[in-house]
Amino acid sequence: MLNKLLYDFAMWLDSQAWSISLHESYYLYGWIETTHVLTLAIFFGMLLVIDLRMLGVVFTRVPASTIARRLDFPMMVGFLVMVVTGLLLFYAIPVRTTQSIWFRIKVVLLLAAGLNALLFRHAMEASVVSWDIDPIPPKRIRYGAVLSLMLWTGVIATGRMIAYDWFDCHKDMSRLMYWAAGCVNELVTAEGY
Amino acid sequence: MDVLFLFEWLDASMLATISKSNGGVFALVQTVHLVSLALLGGMSIMLDLRLLNLLLRDVPLLIVVAETKKWIGVALVTITLSGVYQASAVAIKLYYNSFFWSKMAGLVIALLLYYAIKLPLLNRGVDKFHPWTIKLVAVASLTTWFGVAATGRWIGFS
Repeated sequence: MLNKLLYDFAMWLDSQAWSISLHESYYLYGWIETTHVLTLAIFFGMLLVIDLRMLGVVFTRVPASTIARRLDFPMMVGFLVMVVTGLLLFYAIPVRTTQSIWFRIKVVLLLAAGLNALLFRHAMEASVVSWDIDPIPPKRIRYGAVLSLMLWTGVIATGRMIAYDWFDCHKDMSRLMYWAAGCVNELVTAEGY
Repeated sequence: MDVLFLFEWLDASMLATISKSNGGVFALVQTVHLVSLALLGGMSIMLDLRLLNLLLRDVPLLIVVAETKKWIGVALVTITLSGVYQASAVAIKLYYNSFFWSKMAGLVIALLLYYAIKLPLLNRGVDKFHPWTIKLVAVASLTTWFGVAATGRWIGFS
């Protein structure tokens, strides 16, 4: 049901003139993807520094809150541009992206990373006064930082894998994989309707 | 001097045999390359924005220089290792790719700018130089690293 809705939405996007133009534009598509990767360096670069400080690995002589607050702005600017360029990349190739198992895992990891960031920020702000100048923050903060690094690395890895066609709908796969990737037409054929 | 023989040697190496036959490992190495790029980008941008007085103004410059130096070194090692692994899979194609050579030229300039100009200048003390000299070096560094990353992405498009 959800797969069919997503597929119909992707097909509708795919029929838009701007989507086709974007897909067929060599330079514009290339520069959007380049900007997506460059802002990844800004966003994830800043996030890495914040998380490594929370792990007590970098800038241990600087209060943790100083690093987190000062790097927050460039990190969010990077994130915003990354989201906009990411949406444009999706808009350019909606059907294949919607039916990519890697894209689907990436979205789940993104949501988990976003939730972890909210909880992490809340936990940090609630307790930072008691450990701000400690070189190594408390265990729960370190766990949050490790989880953040793992989730965002997963987002990058799955994002990179979207380019590979290992599990594309035209491949011969199990019904479970067809369902997980949202290959609605192939699923119907496999079920023998 | 034509360096085609180096690319031919890499193409025929054991590393190329491994990288060409393991798509999954290749994709994971690409992820390592991207994460290292983010580490390098994060540290370089932070240092340059500090030199431009736009970020971490309340953190002593000496601390920012010392911390970023260590991690820029780590990132460069992992970027190089993962880059050579990826290059081994498409060595001959890379030799004829103009974006690859643009990236390599940018990389050499960026490394010279960092190790031969910026670090010696910072080690002598920024107060010994005109503020605009420092700002100019920071802007040149930001521009060069962005150029390296952008041309790197365009290798895949050409």
